[in-house]
Amino acid sequence: MKLNNARPTLLLRLAKWSALPLCLLFTGCGEAPDAASNGADATTEVTMDAEGMMPARRQKAFKKIFHAVPSPIETAMLLERSGIQFDAEALHTLENAVGYSTTELQSVNLGIYAGDLSYSVIFNQNQQSVEYLNTCRRLCDGLGVGDIINADLISRADNNRDVRDSLVDIVTDTFYELNGRFRENGMEEVSGLMAAGGWIEGVYLGTRSLNSSTADLKLRIAEQKMTLDNLIGLLGSYAPTPALTNMKEALRPVEAAFAGVTITENPAVSTAAVDGTVVISGGPEVNYDEATLTAISESIAVVRNQYAQ
Amino acid sequence: MTAIKKFPLAALALVMMFTAADAAAQCRTFTKKRCLPQLEEYVQNDNYNTAVLIPGDEAELELTFFGDRAYRLLVCGHPVLGDLTFQVLDSRGNGIYDSSDKESDHFDFRVANTQQMTIRVQVPETEAVIQHEGCVSIMVGSKG
Repeated sequence: MKLNNARPTLLLRLAKWSALPLCLLFTGCGEAPDAASNGADATTEVTMDAEGMMPARRQKAFKKIFHAVPSPIETAMLLERSGIQFDAEALHTLENAVGYSTTELQSVNLGIYAGDLSYSVIFNQNQQSVEYLNTCRRLCDGLGVGDIINADLISRADNNRDVRDSLVDIVTDTFYELNGRFRENGMEEVSGLMAAGGWIEGVYLGTRSLNSSTADLKLRIAEQKMTLDNLIGLLGSYAPTPALTNMKEALRPVEAAFAGVTITENPAVSTAAVDGTVVISGGPEVNYDEATLTAISESIAVVRNQYAQ
Repeated sequence: MTAIKKFPLAALALVMMFTAADAAAQCRTFTKKRCLPQLEEYVQNDNYNTAVLIPGDEAELELTFFGDRAYRLLVCGHPVLGDLTFQVLDSRGNGIYDSSDKESDHFDFRVANTQQMTIRVQVPETEAVIQHEGCVSIMVGSKG
């Protein structure tokens, strides 16, 4: 009798202890299955081998949708190629980083500082690059991922401060690691807010001197309507949180300003160039006017300064 | 229940928790070891587009590609999943590239005008009794 009672109790306790880790198992890599993924089956085999595979824990196929935005380094490269002049005054103040105490502000400002770091790296502002990397480290400490930007990494960046390609590799690898860690730790909100901060800073830096901007830069700014679309998709792909809702609200005036950019969709065409590279031409035609660019510039400054106080 | 009886349950829970976290971390390690080196000549986009998929799954990524820039699109999956196939579609859903008849896990191209494109990846079905899941990464690098 006692034995019969003891077994269910033991099983119940086992189930209780196992519930959290099982939940984690089903959401490993931060991958919440989409709608079609109901009916996932558990197996007792849970060890993924070092090569990144294991017996399947579910049987029903699903479709995973990724959302991505250009990295701050990509945006900084676009700005440089478009003929923009480096403007140190436009960068976010380094000292402000110590004042960000909430996850929301730390995440968005990590993105903003990542934008400034990328801008400094691409424009060969070597000392400034290391200082911005150090500031990112401070915010990463606050977000619990301080080990990724550690003393060794700072030292490596310092030693390579005159080699732009090495700094670019260090920055892209570091932010890839950060994004991966945020996803696998279930910190999608942080990842999304950081991406938003990086995008906002890129557009902010690109619109500080519109009057003297090249036609190419103006076109690149107008084209950001497409990346804003990607960013809104990214923010909307995560479970809603107050911080994500705040960001989406803050971006509404920016979306309204970008509404002045018209994009006419045309079919894309791929052709082989002489050197064998495939060239994709055609695609959308982007139209805008100066008033629209001014509205974008003003609205992005408002949202940027709202977070970068 | 005495502390000594509770210990195995707590230990089991902890082991399972660490195993789950470890599985996710191994996916990141897999990507870093097996996929990132293929973007060596490119500046990789630092987005983390990695998922654990099984046979029959699909993955999709929508991204803006900027004009006058060269890209490498890399679809990197664990060999246990077989030969992954992928297509590149324009913003109207028209096919631009299909890897089905090619033996390559990447697509190198240059974009003349900035445009949004969709990358659609398929994991082939399998008749195997025991199905495996594996890491799949969609990675994008750019240059020039």
